[in-house]
Amino acid sequence: MAVMKFLCDTKRCIECNGCVTACKNENDSALEWGIQRRRVVTINDGEPGEASLSVACMHCTDAPCQAVCPANCFYKTEDGLTLHNKDTCIGCGYCLYACPFGAPQFPKKGAFGSRGKMDKCTFCAGGPEETHSDAERQKYGSNRLAEGKLPMCAELCATKSLLAGDADIVSSIYRDRIVARGNPNAIWGYTPKTGA
Amino acid sequence: MRLTRKTDQAETAKKPALGLNRRQFLQSAGLATGGIAAASMLGAGMMRKAEAKEVPHNAPTEIKRTICSHCSVGCGIYAEVQNGVWTGQEPAFDHPFNAGGHCAKGAALREHGHGEKRLKYPMKLEGGKWKKISWDQAIEEVGGKALDIRKESGPDSVFFMGSAKFSNEQAYMYRKFAAMWGTNNVDHSARICHSTTVAGVANTWGYGAQTNSFNDIRNAKAMMFIGSNPCEAHPVAMQHILEGKERGAKIIVVDPRFTRTAAKSDEYVHIRPGTDIPYIYGLLWHIFENKWEDQSFIDQRVYGMERIREEAAKWNPAEVENVAGVPKEQMYRVAKMLAETKPGTVVWCMGGTQHHVGNANTRAYCILQLALGNMGVAGGGTNIFRGHDNVQGATDFGLLFDTLPGYYGLKTGSWKHWCNVWDLDYEWVKNRFDQEEHLGQVPMNSTGIPCSRWHDGVLEDKSKIAQKDNIRMAFFWGQSVNTETRGREVREALDKMDTVVVVDPFPTMAGVMHNRKDGVYLLPASTQFETYGSVSASNRSLQWRTQVIEPLFESKPDHVIMYKLAKKWGIEKEFCKHIKVNGDEPLIEDMTREFNKGMWTIGYTGQSPERLKMHQENWGTFDINSLEAPGGPAKGETYGLPWPCWGTPEMKHPGSQILYRTGREVKNGGGNFRARYGVEHNGNNILAEGSYPKGSEIKDGYPEFTADMLKQLGWWDDLTPEEKKHAEGKNWKTDISGGIQRVAIKHGCMPYGNAKARCIVWNFPDDIPLHREPLYTPRRDLVSKYPTYEDRMVARLPTLYKTIQDQDFAKDFPIALTSGRLVEFEGGGEETRSNPWLAELQQEMFIEISPGDAADRGLRDGDDVWVHSPEGAKIKVQAMVTPRVINGECFMPYHFAGVFEGESLEKNYPEGTVPYVIGESANTVLTYGYDVVTQMQETKSSLCQITKA
Amino acid sequence: MLLKSLRGLFALLVLPFVLTMGLGLSTSALAVDDQTSQQMANSSEVDLWHAVKAGDSGYTTKKGVESGVLINVSAIEATEIKNQYLTPAMGLAVLGVFGAFIVFYFVNGPSKLSKGYSGKMVLRWSKADLWIHWVLAISCLGLILTGINIMLGKHILEPYVGEGMWAGLISASKFIHDYVGPVFIISWILCVVKWMPLQTFKMYDLKWFLVVGGYINFGPFKGKHPDSGFANAGEKMWFWTLTLFGLFISVSGMMLVLPGLDLPREASFAALLIHAISAIIIIAFTIVHIWMATVLSEGGMECMKSGYCDENWAVQHHNLWYDEIKANDTLEYKD
Repeated sequence: MAVMKFLCDTKRCIECNGCVTACKNENDSALEWGIQRRRVVTINDGEPGEASLSVACMHCTDAPCQAVCPANCFYKTEDGLTLHNKDTCIGCGYCLYACPFGAPQFPKKGAFGSRGKMDKCTFCAGGPEETHSDAERQKYGSNRLAEGKLPMCAELCATKSLLAGDADIVSSIYRDRIVARGNPNAIWGYTPKTGA
Repeated sequence: MRLTRKTDQAETAKKPALGLNRRQFLQSAGLATGGIAAASMLGAGMMRKAEAKEVPHNAPTEIKRTICSHCSVGCGIYAEVQNGVWTGQEPAFDHPFNAGGHCAKGAALREHGHGEKRLKYPMKLEGGKWKKISWDQAIEEVGGKALDIRKESGPDSVFFMGSAKFSNEQAYMYRKFAAMWGTNNVDHSARICHSTTVAGVANTWGYGAQTNSFNDIRNAKAMMFIGSNPCEAHPVAMQHILEGKERGAKIIVVDPRFTRTAAKSDEYVHIRPGTDIPYIYGLLWHIFENKWEDQSFIDQRVYGMERIREEAAKWNPAEVENVAGVPKEQMYRVAKMLAETKPGTVVWCMGGTQHHVGNANTRAYCILQLALGNMGVAGGGTNIFRGHDNVQGATDFGLLFDTLPGYYGLKTGSWKHWCNVWDLDYEWVKNRFDQEEHLGQVPMNSTGIPCSRWHDGVLEDKSKIAQKDNIRMAFFWGQSVNTETRGREVREALDKMDTVVVVDPFPTMAGVMHNRKDGVYLLPASTQFETYGSVSASNRSLQWRTQVIEPLFESKPDHVIMYKLAKKWGIEKEFCKHIKVNGDEPLIEDMTREFNKGMWTIGYTGQSPERLKMHQENWGTFDINSLEAPGGPAKGETYGLPWPCWGTPEMKHPGSQILYRTGREVKNGGGNFRARYGVEHNGNNILAEGSYPKGSEIKDGYPEFTADMLKQLGWWDDLTPEEKKHAEGKNWKTDISGGIQRVAIKHGCMPYGNAKARCIVWNFPDDIPLHREPLYTPRRDLVSKYPTYEDRMVARLPTLYKTIQDQDFAKDFPIALTSGRLVEFEGGGEETRSNPWLAELQQEMFIEISPGDAADRGLRDGDDVWVHSPEGAKIKVQAMVTPRVINGECFMPYHFAGVFEGESLEKNYPEGTVPYVIGESANTVLTYGYDVVTQMQETKSSLCQITKA
Repeated sequence: MLLKSLRGLFALLVLPFVLTMGLGLSTSALAVDDQTSQQMANSSEVDLWHAVKAGDSGYTTKKGVESGVLINVSAIEATEIKNQYLTPAMGLAVLGVFGAFIVFYFVNGPSKLSKGYSGKMVLRWSKADLWIHWVLAISCLGLILTGINIMLGKHILEPYVGEGMWAGLISASKFIHDYVGPVFIISWILCVVKWMPLQTFKMYDLKWFLVVGGYINFGPFKGKHPDSGFANAGEKMWFWTLTLFGLFISVSGMMLVLPGLDLPREASFAALLIHAISAIIIIAFTIVHIWMATVLSEGGMECMKSGYCDENWAVQHHNLWYDEIKANDTLEYKD
């Protein structure tokens, strides 16, 4: 089976936050103010060497969140995605501590006890509820994968920096770019003879 | 580069690893786990209740093609509508501009269909309270008030602030609306955006617009961004820019601030704010010194380069380093890079235009490209990125204080041309105006009051302004007043006027920043997704938008509101003489057809609604590299028929992607520099020499085409008898049959003539670009050498220059202040700050301050600070300590509003309309300073002081 | 800077515990993920990735703690520690100690009162003491049971109860654990404050250890009754363990249950590990304590039922205390 992955091309990421709002837009029903499943981080901001990178759940093969979750609410899909069941989630926050990417988000904090049900990127693949049911939309957001589409963040990326899809295809696209960049005269695809 | 869509798997529903469908399991187990979770006090309430308006997933879906309404890149969108609700937004991978890509704003576009914080119905401020009123009452009262003022003070006492968010049709109608009211006091945000570009560039070579296209940047070998930060302001343009870079182009970013775009550059050049002209002359110094200029291009197509050579000689590397702060070695390196990697393009935005010498800045950039011979070729040109989605169109349609649609100007001949198009009696239109002269100016033929200074039109002593009375009433129609500098005066002016009318989807700053108790009307306008029409992207392409949803709440599309007011004023018959009206809604396609009949100057004549809709339906047939359709119904045409699209629609001109391109036939979008200023200057020939578009029958320069010229050339009989009737005594701009254009193009000639570009613009105060220190300069030592202008009258208003520069503010206000955009917000920000998906990303108004300046003031990142203006205003914002800016310079974004000098205006908003994020407006502390030609406000070089709050 | 120092703190806090438990600290940092490391390897900007991997913080529009940190690898090690060592250690603490005691009990048999019951009951605990003990005991047991479910439940319980039941159980465990925690903390504070004066170590406590408290019924230890005061050395050890690890578990527990503190991930995970280690120790001691009181030591349980102990029991197990109250005439019999 395919293994789904994200890959962010730092040479192209411009921190426009399109991926962030694309996610908000697509998963609107499941998200509320303060929950952003994706974020863009700029390292060396304002200095030479500045680079931006969009990050969300990376759907790790050996997911630390799954390993640490006391409620065992995570599961792997056939596509290699790490999804979770909000009905089982107890809001303990362990996954937040464990995740190297800071992907898990909690709607509540402040008072005492639970943080509410954890929310994170689903790779636009919904959740354990029936596909395209109201319950799925309310809890997990959209299920684009079931419609044969890829995650909204990558599909709407302004500069095609954020890639999503089958790991092999994604890395071959990225490899091609690296090769092309290695050669200053390399041209991608067809170049029309416009003008004199 | 398209993503490969996954098609083979993922059709099946994802199941938990247990292999058991959760729902089935729960049914069989007979235990709803939610029960226990809900029983616990903490577990409940995590899941949102289903909203009534939520539409089932399987409801039938309609797909509408529309265009993003934020910036001028013009990204295409597939909007999915179910049961009349905008339920989805899909990437338009086949759209030739964005290939599905969007920035934060575009990706959040669907929120327009929610509009939670929108103005929901007409409202009126009465005794300090907002009161809901009916549309009829609103039109009656607003229209009546205007008529009263007209009677007492004349038509010029009503100011028509227009919008760059209008569709082309609405922009055209709004200009017509103001004309029929009888005033030139109509303007919009282009005044404070690219007015200096339009003036400077058009006066250099003919048209004041982006010469190439976003897509064409892929072909550039060098790109210089000066005062432009596309990563934040035009993010999708970066798709093409980075593609160009990956093909080997060099990127140079010139900016006082290390922007996101600078991070992608090969060479980042820091210049002191307000020193663009020294920087450009510094490059030219090296270019001339090393004979890197394209001499044959200059000889054939450029007038006055010798004067530039003389001026550039003064800007030796040492002087440039002193004034602009660029090291000598870097100047040489950049000049060499530009000279050796061609074609190269120059891109500028507000960083170049928003100066009191803005027009000269833009001319300097053009001159650089002329010296390098980079004009009229793919990968070259001046790619001037416009701001709003239709600021190009609104400019073209003359939502400006100094021109009619199509840059016809305000002369009697221009008025007669448009009266001819409108099929109205010129005398009737003339009589709508104030017939008296004021300070020697005739209102109908004199430039009005600019958008940047409407408040001066309210507050200035009326004996000093060239119209009958002060402005007493203003329509703020789709433009927020926090985009104007000198916030205190703006507030004072709002308080002083008789009536304030805001026509907008949101209350905007004009509706809330005043201290009034009465006399404010808020009329809810619809967004562009609640109507349809065409929109012009920055690259001059026109795109058709389909209506996505019905107008939300009680809002109405702008042209409906105009028609209702026209009816109240009794001018609706003339207003829509040849436009069909359904109820109160004039037919949009008829407006398009009407402007097709009049916009000959810039070739807005070939883009009929039918052709535009055909392009809309065939996005995917246009190639992203060339923007041309290799086949399909639009075969051979350029996407969106970028103007000039000559002649009538029937002529099927393909549009001109690249202006002044001699390498192509005129009929295929080729061209040359425009002959706009006669045939000679001081005895020198200013027509082109030996340069002409491919296939031209006249193999040299020639003036613009007139009926007489056709006769002299012996081409008169190429006109049809019908065309001859219209063409007699007219020229290429005023012949409404399009015959003169058709015949000229048939012979391979450019209707507007073939001339040289001008380095000397003798009709401007500075005929060549001259450096003048900003009015508020931190370099007092340079003031005597590079002084500003004497105070003078510009258009209808007295304008200060020397009086301000003579005062030394630098000691108490030592930090140079610039402003700019954030990627998440747009313009005055009311719309984007009311969009929760965007607002969440930028919740605090801030000022970027260098670590050094922060340390001197004991400031830490995140501290509250006061920013003090030399004119007395101050704002309270958050400090962002960042190396993006250097010591002695600071930066603020300009999208915030809703807080004024530390005081929250939240209480002034009608209930439920306070944006998610409010903050101080940068323009509250930005200072006096206006371009000497266009009245552009100087927001990119001012002074301030920062203290801990 | 703050993060760096916290990471140091984390190491300082965790290392001693791990070492005391006789477990080595895993030094090999896990690769974050195959795909990600491939991405990193492909990048020419080695420095950038070094910075990212080192957990450097950047600019982001996302609000919240540490949102500027792209990758925080420390959590990988901590997860490793938790799953590889602490989870089995918890299993060992529960089953091992329990099992060891059963074995011990069968080999050794209970510790009988050598003179049998006297029938005269001596006041040992006041009513307040009893309350404190039982509130502490019950809350502690509640925490232990729910805590064991939180730590081990997904391994030992979930496979047998079905998904729906499990969701309910784990959610209830978390809820009970959160709300019983404060009860435990209050009763623990009272216990520590009130009983501390009785729990100071004396020289004779050393001797008590040498004969293993006299509970062993064979070999050279048989029939020994070492000296002991109000609390014997074993009880003192239990008290101090509970005091120390009760402190750790309370503080770390509060760190975990108050999301509003906005702690960095390192601190939270350190708290989680400290919480688990403390729990393992407390659970091990609790099991011993319960065994001693209920099964092993005849007459021991009676003390916490009524507050009175049999006079013979007092003489046998707490001779010095008995002598003392007798001498200063504070001995009180039950009516």
